[in-house]
Amino acid sequence: MSAIEIRGLRKSYRVYQKKEGLWASLTGLFHREYREVDAVRGIDLDVEQGEFVAFLGPNGAGKTTTLKLLSGVISPTVGQARVLGHVPWERENSYRRKFALVMGQKNQLWWDLPAQESFRLHQKIYRIDPTEFDRTRDELVDLLEVRHLLGQPVRELSLGERMKMELTAALLHSPDVLFLDEPTIGLDVIAQHNIQKFLKHYQQQRKITILLTSHYMKDVAALCKRVVIIAHGDIMYDGSLAGIVDRFSGHKELTLQFADDRMPSDLARYGEVLEIVEPKARLRVERGSIAEVLSAVLANHSVEDVSVEDPPLEEVIAEMFALTADQSRESRDANRQPAQSVTQSS
Amino acid sequence: MHPSYLGVFLTFARNSLIRDMTFRTNFIIEAISSVSWMIMNLGFYTLVYQFTPSIADWGKYEFFVFIATTMFINSLVQAFFMPNMQELSELVRTGGLDFALLKPIDTQFLVSLHRVNWSSLGNFFVALLLLAYSLPRIEGLQLSPWQYLLYPLYVFLGVWILYSVMIGLAATSIWLGRNQSLYDFWFYITNFSRYPMEIYDGPWGTPLQKFFTFVIPILVVINVPAQLMAKPLIDADWWLAGFAILATVFSLIASRWVFKLALRSYRSASS
Repeated sequence: MSAIEIRGLRKSYRVYQKKEGLWASLTGLFHREYREVDAVRGIDLDVEQGEFVAFLGPNGAGKTTTLKLLSGVISPTVGQARVLGHVPWERENSYRRKFALVMGQKNQLWWDLPAQESFRLHQKIYRIDPTEFDRTRDELVDLLEVRHLLGQPVRELSLGERMKMELTAALLHSPDVLFLDEPTIGLDVIAQHNIQKFLKHYQQQRKITILLTSHYMKDVAALCKRVVIIAHGDIMYDGSLAGIVDRFSGHKELTLQFADDRMPSDLARYGEVLEIVEPKARLRVERGSIAEVLSAVLANHSVEDVSVEDPPLEEVIAEMFALTADQSRESRDANRQPAQSVTQSS
Repeated sequence: MHPSYLGVFLTFARNSLIRDMTFRTNFIIEAISSVSWMIMNLGFYTLVYQFTPSIADWGKYEFFVFIATTMFINSLVQAFFMPNMQELSELVRTGGLDFALLKPIDTQFLVSLHRVNWSSLGNFFVALLLLAYSLPRIEGLQLSPWQYLLYPLYVFLGVWILYSVMIGLAATSIWLGRNQSLYDFWFYITNFSRYPMEIYDGPWGTPLQKFFTFVIPILVVINVPAQLMAKPLIDADWWLAGFAILATVFSLIASRWVFKLALRSYRSASS
C-alpha cells in the first residue's frame, strides 16, 4: 500500500473581487462579486513508503494547498486522499500522531520562551515517553548542532537556528510522514546546506516518507530522486530530476574555446549565440543536431577546448512554467466554464 | 492513547508563568492596574451607598458580596480564557490555527487554554479579602456549610457560561476572517451581568431581563452565586439555581457546536 494516495483532489476558493477605490469599497459593503479560484485542480498522486519527493512549482501553483489538504488543515472541494490509510481532514488523533508539517514561513514555537519549553509541551501533547523523549531530543539537537541554544528564547535565535528548532519540534514524536513547506526559505547557503544534510541523513536512517516543497533547486537536487511539478493546480511532470531536462528542454549548451584568438565571426549559423568572451563562446544548439554542429565546428575552426552541457535546471523549469502558464491561459479562455465564471451575491 | 489534558494544561500554565516572569515589570503593572480599577469601582459604590440604604433590596455589604463575585468570575475568565479568545481571531487571520489543527488533541481545548494570563488573578485575591470583609457585616446573615459548598460551584458555572459566549463569538472570526470586536462585546456583556437582575424592571427592564436570562444567560452568571451567598435564596428563587446548571450545560454544548461548525469552514491563510 502506498503511504500517500491522492485521487481527483480538488480545492477551490471563493474569492472576493475587491475593486479599486473608495466608492467601490463602499458599494462592496452591499454587493460583492466573487470569483472561484481553483488552487488544486483534481490531482492524482501515489507516494510509496520511504520516498523523498519534491514538489516544484511557481508561487500559487497549489503546492502548499496540497500539503495543507494532506495534513488535514483544510478539506477538499472534491476528491479523495489517504495518508497511511487515514483520511487527513477527518483529523483523527491517531493520524495526527503519525505526521508532521513544517512551514518555513511560520513558526509554532513559543516566541518568548526557550525552545526546550515548547519541546516539553510537545512531549505532553503527543504523550511521548520521557526517556524516549530525552533520547530523541538529544539526537536531533546534536545532529542539527543546536544543543547550546536550547535555553535561549526563540525570539533571540537567528532564522537558521530557529528553523532547526522548528524541525526538532516537528520530529520529536518520530512521525512516519513529514511534510516540509519551503524549510530553507530565507536561509543563507551554509544554513541551507546544513538543513539539507540533516534531512538527507534523517530520511535515510528512518526511511520515513517526505514531501518537500522548495524554490531552491539545490535542495531538490541534494535530496529527492523523484520530482513532481505542479503548476496552476495540475501535475505537469512526475519523474526524475534529470528527466525534466530531457523532457522539457530541446537544447544543449555548447561552449567552445578557439585557438590563438581566432574567433570566427559567423558563429550564429551553428546556433543561438548566448555569450562571447574571447576566446570563448557559448552557443545554444538544438539537441537533435548537436553531433552535426560539433563536427562542422571542429572541421572548420581550430578549437582548443569544447564542452557540451544541459542547460541549467532553473532555466528549463522557468521555461516550462512560462509554457504551462500560456497553456492554462488558453484553456481558460477556450472554456469559460462555471468554475471560472464570476458569480454574484449580495 | 489519549493525550493527558491535565498535563498539557499544567504545561501551558507553567510556560505562561515563565513568560510572564520574563517581562516581570509588565506583569506587575498589569496586576496593579486591574486591581486599582476594581478598587475604584468599589469606592464608587461606597459613594452611592452614602445616599441610599439599598438598591433593589441589595444593602451595601450584600452588594459588596455581589462585587466580590463579579471579581472572582471576571478574574478567572480573564486569566484563563480572555487572552486565548482574543488571540483566536489573530490565529485565523494569520493562518496560525494550522498548527493547532495538526496536534493530536482537541482543537477547542488547545485554542481555549494555551495561554494563562497570571496577572489577572490579582483581582481573585482582592475578591477573597472583600468577601471576608463583607460577609460578617451583613445583618442577620446565617451562613450554612452548603452555601460554602455551592458558592464556588456556581462561580465555576458562571465562568463556563461566559467562556461559552466568548468562544462562540470568537469562532465567528473563522467565518468573518477577522473579528476584533470581541473586547467590545465582552465589555457590553459584563456591563449587563454585573448588576443585580432585580434592577431590570419595568417596560424596558423586564424584556431585557428575560432575554439575558433565557436567551443569552449572562444574568445568571453572577446573580446566582451572589444571591446564594449574600441573601440565601428564598424558595421561589430555587428554580433559578436549577436553571443556572441547565444554562451552563446548554451554553457549553451550543458553543462547542458553533466552534466545530466554524472549524469546518476554516480556509487557512497564504503560506
